[in-house]
Amino acid sequence: MSQDKDIPLAELRRAQPRFSGFEAGHRACLGCGEALAARLVTESAGPDVVYANATGCLEVFTTAWPESAWRVPWMHSLFANAAAIGAGMEAALKAQGRSTRVIAMGGDGGTFDIGFQALSGMLERGHNVLYVCYDNEAYMNTGIQRSSSTPHAAVTTTSPAGRERMGKRHLKKDIVSIVAAHHIPYAATASVAYPADLRKKVRRALAIDGPTFLHVHTPCPLGWGHDSALTIEIARLAVQTGLFPVIELERGGVAGVMPIREQRPVSDYLRLQNRFRHLFADDVRAREELEHLQALADHNIERYGLRPGHEADPLDTEGADTVKRGGVR
Amino acid sequence: MSVKITRGSFARPGTSLQFDTGSWRIQRPQHRHATAPCHAACPAGEDAQAWLALVEQERFRDAWETLIAANPLPAITGRVCHHPCEAACNRGNYDEPIAIHHVERLIGDMALEEDWPLPPSQTNGDPREVAVVGAGPAGCSAAWHLARSGYRVQLFEALPEAGGLLRSAIPPYRLPAAVVERELHRLLARPGIRFLPGQRLGRDFDLDELQASFAAVFLSIGTQRGRDWSIDGATPSDLHVGLPLLKEWMDVGAIPTWNSVAIVGAGNTAIDLARVLKLSGVPEVHIISHKAIPGPGVAPDDAMPAIRREIEQALEEGVVIHEHRGVQRLILRGEQVIGVELVHMKKLPDAEGRLQRVAFEGTESILHVEQVIPAIGQVVEPEGVQSLLGQRSFFRVDDRGCFPDHPRLFTGGDARGDRGTVSEAIGDGRRAALAIDRLLRQQAGDPPSPAQQPIPAEQLNLNYFETAPRPRVPVLDVARRASFAEIEGPLDTRQALGEGERCLSCGNCMACDNCWTLCPDVAVLKTREVASDGSHYLFDYGYCKGCGLCARECPTGYIVMQPDL
Repeated sequence: MSQDKDIPLAELRRAQPRFSGFEAGHRACLGCGEALAARLVTESAGPDVVYANATGCLEVFTTAWPESAWRVPWMHSLFANAAAIGAGMEAALKAQGRSTRVIAMGGDGGTFDIGFQALSGMLERGHNVLYVCYDNEAYMNTGIQRSSSTPHAAVTTTSPAGRERMGKRHLKKDIVSIVAAHHIPYAATASVAYPADLRKKVRRALAIDGPTFLHVHTPCPLGWGHDSALTIEIARLAVQTGLFPVIELERGGVAGVMPIREQRPVSDYLRLQNRFRHLFADDVRAREELEHLQALADHNIERYGLRPGHEADPLDTEGADTVKRGGVR
Repeated sequence: MSVKITRGSFARPGTSLQFDTGSWRIQRPQHRHATAPCHAACPAGEDAQAWLALVEQERFRDAWETLIAANPLPAITGRVCHHPCEAACNRGNYDEPIAIHHVERLIGDMALEEDWPLPPSQTNGDPREVAVVGAGPAGCSAAWHLARSGYRVQLFEALPEAGGLLRSAIPPYRLPAAVVERELHRLLARPGIRFLPGQRLGRDFDLDELQASFAAVFLSIGTQRGRDWSIDGATPSDLHVGLPLLKEWMDVGAIPTWNSVAIVGAGNTAIDLARVLKLSGVPEVHIISHKAIPGPGVAPDDAMPAIRREIEQALEEGVVIHEHRGVQRLILRGEQVIGVELVHMKKLPDAEGRLQRVAFEGTESILHVEQVIPAIGQVVEPEGVQSLLGQRSFFRVDDRGCFPDHPRLFTGGDARGDRGTVSEAIGDGRRAALAIDRLLRQQAGDPPSPAQQPIPAEQLNLNYFETAPRPRVPVLDVARRASFAEIEGPLDTRQALGEGERCLSCGNCMACDNCWTLCPDVAVLKTREVASDGSHYLFDYGYCKGCGLCARECPTGYIVMQPDL
């Protein structure tokens, strides 16, 4: 069908009925979950926000010299110090008596590993900053090396599957518990498969005075080895299997969860991704690892009480993203 | 753009919008309207998805006008149609199909209650006249569509009133007479349609006269003659035949109350007559059917052709159906029937692979009844149309309903022989009217066919819908049906809105914002106006990288990926 030539696209783009803090033309790969998450975060946070960004895919693909995809004040310094920069900006704004909010952000490498110390310091000092971690579960920008966020049994270039190991030997670091252990007012997880929930959590965190943390699960088609069209499907399955629990923690305690109405077997999630392909080989170790991952999912469900109640929750894994005619969700 | 930085100078911010990521693309998303299964399955040609979308927006009158663009009798079809739309509905793969026929009935009734007028013609009046013979569902539909196209229509009817089988053979517990009366009254009063009752083909006028004085002729004369019936040459002396008996009851409201009756046949007449007899107090009513009671595991071509809901209600009321059974012999005392000998029968392929009925020896049984009533179907009454009919029982015509050697002569409805429902007749009327319009405007070829492959459930993304129960309508208890009052009650407005909301909008944009929300590349733009393709979104191909996310996640299957190298 022909595109409507009567509507000038550039003009239409400026008139979109949502805040555009993150624009087109960025160099993210096809189907990038992180790009989508970043757009949803800026959209929900609105214009009166400054951003500190750790080194990583997001920083690289949005700011190819001399262009920027950001329509908001945005700063990048190092891999390790996004939280420290955010804390500094917050202190400066506070000294000036300004109410502008600060969001610091990084990938899983910049959050779980390299920027972890700065993050812990920011949380401990009680800075009024929202820290958003876009978790694609490896160092994708530098060539898919394992991070402490890479899930157990996943293949990366530094955790190959072979005679010795079935992918990564270690477990995914439980970052949200560690962060929540700083006794901060609000820490939550979210997924790009549930954008309405993600937006709500950004607004909720920004309304809270004090350090807040949002951990967003963002599939990476290139690093995980899946078709670019499957990003949302895979993110949704991570939640529906229980491998990525969607929860909210206040002062370290569980304050809310997205119940799983129909738990899917982990194999539904794993078999769509090449990084788990070795688990479907005819190999006794593969079968054991599949069972191991299933047990990890079941453990999450038990630990956070993700089983449905007697009545279906309209905001559970099946209902949270129901669409309506006219776009009202 | 590149900016050179020297000591003391500054860089102007550059926007990534200057970078054309669209050049990466090897496939592009496109909006594509696909036919909803309900639309493809509707014998009358209604696009239920389109009018349900309007119902959801509480635009009942717009919904009605969209509906009658295909079918001018929704209050009637909403009651009597066997609704193949619901069997095809993709929602049936998810929880329960949309209650399309209940909503159709509601908006049809609403139009009658609020006296909405039929919309005027789409085109300027055409002085040419078209004759329609027979004011049953096919004839009324043809008259309506011809009048909408601007022609003047003369609608001939042998009986004093219009309606055909709607008035003479569908019992009031399925279709109250007042609904037929009001629906037809509105149609016949429409400017452009001249209704001529009491005019019988072959008695008051003949085919040659019609062909000479009208630009085109549509023969919707139905099937007015009962098939000959005998068992090895034997017929009871007091033979009653199904359809005339039913018509008589419709006319005078009384029927002989025998003690036990066997009706031979598996169609709607057999079922209707059985129910009328049962509800009138006949203690034992049997139906002898070559075919099976429809249900899970029964192949469609082995199932009784009557409407399934009517079969179920007949069984509820106590009618006994002997499936896969045939009459082998009439047991007579003198010339009076006292029973029938039944035998198990089934259709099996013969040596050439053609299906033949086979009776199984050793399965005979005796059923004692006072009456055997054949309801084995009707054929075209040859009077006045002998030259067209030849030795056949029905007219033989092409898909549009046109006779092979008479380019301006069309037929439809029961007279075709391959039809059997009100909705098919209405569809025939519409198709013939479209063909006549093209013929008279001298447009070549067949009319554009909407018969595309319907979009299957696999092409929708059902993750974005929530289960919700199909509404139930009040149904009259069996004990209270002897009054012959309408058995099924109406849906209420709130329930109808709910059905609009439950509709999955298969193959059509419902402006849910999903593509706009999920595009990682900000390449979907939302428009306040409706874009030229009927959606509210545009793809900005300057930036779209062709990842396919929007197509994969589109709940209604409205976005498809096309190669774009």
